[in-house]
Amino acid sequence: MAQTRTDILQGTLDLLILQALALEELHGMGIARRIGQMTQGAFVVKAGSLFPALHRMEEAGWLTSFWGESATNRRAKFYRLTKLGKRQLDTETKDWERISVAISQALRST
Amino acid sequence: MWIFRQLFNFCKNLLRKQRLDEDLDLEIRSYVELSAEEKTTLGVSPEQARIQAELETGGLEQIKEGVRDVRVGATIDRLLQDIRYGSRLLWKNLAYAALTVTTVALGIGATTAIFSVVDGVMFKSLPFPNAARLVRVRSVFTATRRGDVASYPDFLDWRARNHVFDALAAFRTGDFTLAGRGEPERLHGAVVSARLFSLLGVSPAIGRSFLPQEDHPAAADGANAVVLSHALWQRDFGSDPAVIGRTIRLDGQPFTVVGVMPPKFEYPIDAAPVELWTTIAVDAGGGGMPMTDQRGAHYLDVIGLLKPGVQLREAFAEMAQIAGNLSKEHPENKPRTVQLVPEVQELAGPLRTPLLVLMGAVVCVLLIVCVNVANLLTAQGSRRYKEIAVRFAMGANRARVVCQLLTENLILSLLGGGLGLTLAIAMVKILVRIMPAQAPRFNNISVDGRLIGFALFISLFSGILFGLAPAFRTSNIDLTESLKENWARSGSDGKAHARFRGLLVGIQAALAVVLLLGATLLLQSFVHLTRVDPGFDPHDVLTFQLNTPTPNAGDPAAFFREFAARVKSVPGVVSVSAAASLPLTGDSMKSSVEIEGHPTPPGSRSTADFNSVETGYFRALDSAIIRGRDFTAHDSAKATPVVIVNRTFAQQFFPNENPIGKHIRPGIGNGYGPGEPPMREIVGIIQDVKQSGLQAEAAPEMYAPLAQSPFSPVFFVVRTATDPRGYAGIIRRQLGSLEKTEPMYHIETLDEYFQEALSIPRLVTLLLSAFAVVAVLLACMGVYGVVSYVTAQRTHEIGIRMALGSRKLEIMRLILTEGLRPAIAGTLAGIAISLKATALLSSLLYGLTPTDPLTFCAIPLLMTGIALMASYLPARRAANLDPMQSLRYE
Repeated sequence: MAQTRTDILQGTLDLLILQALALEELHGMGIARRIGQMTQGAFVVKAGSLFPALHRMEEAGWLTSFWGESATNRRAKFYRLTKLGKRQLDTETKDWERISVAISQALRST
Repeated sequence: MWIFRQLFNFCKNLLRKQRLDEDLDLEIRSYVELSAEEKTTLGVSPEQARIQAELETGGLEQIKEGVRDVRVGATIDRLLQDIRYGSRLLWKNLAYAALTVTTVALGIGATTAIFSVVDGVMFKSLPFPNAARLVRVRSVFTATRRGDVASYPDFLDWRARNHVFDALAAFRTGDFTLAGRGEPERLHGAVVSARLFSLLGVSPAIGRSFLPQEDHPAAADGANAVVLSHALWQRDFGSDPAVIGRTIRLDGQPFTVVGVMPPKFEYPIDAAPVELWTTIAVDAGGGGMPMTDQRGAHYLDVIGLLKPGVQLREAFAEMAQIAGNLSKEHPENKPRTVQLVPEVQELAGPLRTPLLVLMGAVVCVLLIVCVNVANLLTAQGSRRYKEIAVRFAMGANRARVVCQLLTENLILSLLGGGLGLTLAIAMVKILVRIMPAQAPRFNNISVDGRLIGFALFISLFSGILFGLAPAFRTSNIDLTESLKENWARSGSDGKAHARFRGLLVGIQAALAVVLLLGATLLLQSFVHLTRVDPGFDPHDVLTFQLNTPTPNAGDPAAFFREFAARVKSVPGVVSVSAAASLPLTGDSMKSSVEIEGHPTPPGSRSTADFNSVETGYFRALDSAIIRGRDFTAHDSAKATPVVIVNRTFAQQFFPNENPIGKHIRPGIGNGYGPGEPPMREIVGIIQDVKQSGLQAEAAPEMYAPLAQSPFSPVFFVVRTATDPRGYAGIIRRQLGSLEKTEPMYHIETLDEYFQEALSIPRLVTLLLSAFAVVAVLLACMGVYGVVSYVTAQRTHEIGIRMALGSRKLEIMRLILTEGLRPAIAGTLAGIAISLKATALLSSLLYGLTPTDPLTFCAIPLLMTGIALMASYLPARRAANLDPMQSLRYE
């Protein structure tokens, strides 16, 4: 089921990743876990979608990555928002709010 | 900013691919470990946690592929990878690659070469402005549609009465002797009406073109105008611009040079380049009734420039109307009408049908090649079923696999195309060299940019088309089935596959049969042609042309006697004679003929060929007198007019009668005064001598003694004991001692004329046979391939059959049927197609019909035999399988 839900909301994956990284830098596993927490388990991000998205966003300049150590002292690749990424988060959040308000209104208007 | 980053990423991705991949690998592994770690904290055992984490993460390679796809430059990267991978694979599978490349090269090479020739001879526009509006106007007999040249009075009336042409011009070629410094020189020239150059849209490089009044002969003491070719001007006049206005002597007459044409100007387009032009005035002069006044003297080619916007059909309608009126106004002439042919088409002349046939053949070859390549690719695809299944399992998507397969096919077809182009260039060079002399416009034949584009297009097209079908087939794989490795045995896919390949084999067999039938028919026809009795012995006869003195200027008979005596004195010369026209050259004269006792009005008289020969001509040619006698020295100008006719003439005009002693009146009366030509007594019957080509049926022919019907120039024939070529020099010295002003020209042996007559049939037969052999080889490969495939596919089944007691013979029959069924079906289809297609050959065939029953029986049998042989090898291999081993196979 989680699979279908993420499929439907594929377009929001970027936004969720940006939001997840807004507070602190995280590794891939951490991002997946954070998204799960933030959405109360509504989203399960699979590795097959997560990694292509991360790399795409890194190439777009929204994220930078570096190798570091996890809380359990394992080597892991961490991602951090760049200035461009923060700006992107702002615009995407505003867009999303505008759209969600519009859609909620549309659904209520019947 | 964005662009720079993408560019940076692109470079990074390309240059540090290895690093990035390793990095990604590590990242995903650490992800799995972190995930497993998390699970152990929830109380799952470490092993279990790891398995769960891996399952949740999914395939490592699939993720990596997903990441690679989003990287900048992924497409280019993938293409490079595909090319690298494809090349490696093809290198490993060299036999397959070589076979495919050779097949493609053969197809593209042959097609491009033939198309180059066809393009050069038939389609390339002429180097004149308004080339598309140039039309040849032929004057033909209404009854037979034969003939093509027009008379000058007809031409003048056409020109005055039509409203469809901007201009009409008449011309003929002719040779002139230019007397000047040193040896007199024989030049190929043209006699044209004044407007020809302006009609073609070309003006002289120096001086002026002809003036309209120059079509009329100059005043008695004046000189006619002449225009020189650029080559002649450079060679004989040292490129001297002061040549304009100078008087030169042609055939003893004075001519004034008025212009020099630009270099490369060539018209009329003839086997030998035209070196000078003069006006029709040369035919208008002279005593008696000049050629230009005789409505019955048809000797001029006519070319017209259509008015802009006028269609060929409209022009024809009006010209036919005019010609019809002229026939009514002049009932003394046989009724004539016109034919209009676009100039480009007219120039292709005798090569038109052969080239069309070759083009058809080459398209067949190309189709067979395409089918064969499709077959090879399909076979290759099926061999790689498992590899492709593995690629799918590793996470490749479908488009990716199709791309990969297409890349491989494109590598093959481009290699093949390149090789084919090289082959085409070489073939065109050879073709131009062996092209018969009758073919005009050689210099136009080359592989140019358009044809390179054509070859490239075909190779890409065939690569994509025939690569795509198998690529889609192969990519449409049921994963589990193919990984279970028994895909070949199970499921309908294997069978559909075999059916598809069977269809390909059928198509190949059909096309091969068409080509084989065509080639066999032509080959037989060629053999017939070489065995044709031309009515003379062409070996060891030297011929050359010579202007002889005209009766008013000297005594031609005396000249001949003296010259012949000197030539005969040369050791090795067997006999010497002369004639107005030579056998096989086709330039025989046509004349009306009236049979004694059957008075007929001039308009409806029969026609026959007319020739004028010296004594001893038939002996020199080794043609047998069937009845009566040969001409002797007593048949002089003052003696009774006599004639010898050929067998066909005798049979046609004197059936069941002895023609000897009967009288006929040929319409050509050279040597006699104005008025009706004399009645001649038939004194002998000669065997039929082929005058116009080997294929033509003998026409009725009349021979008069040269003494009673003088012509100039004449062809001398010298029969020699050894190679006749060696005698030309010594004969020229004999001539030099006799007379200084007249050169020998057109020096050729009768054997050479014979070979020339065979040259077009030889070329077509040779090429078509080559194509047929290629087609059969390719079809063989197809049959062999499909049977091998089926055998491999059914190894398991064969094992079971043998284990259950099937005999070798039964197994062989089983396998042979697989190859023979499509081959026989294709052969039958090929026969059906050929019954229609060989009609195209009918004008090229001699001695057999286009649907020769024997050929149509033998070739299909041969094709079936070949298919049987191609199926036999794999079938025998199948029959010799060890049942135990074949069951263990796979």
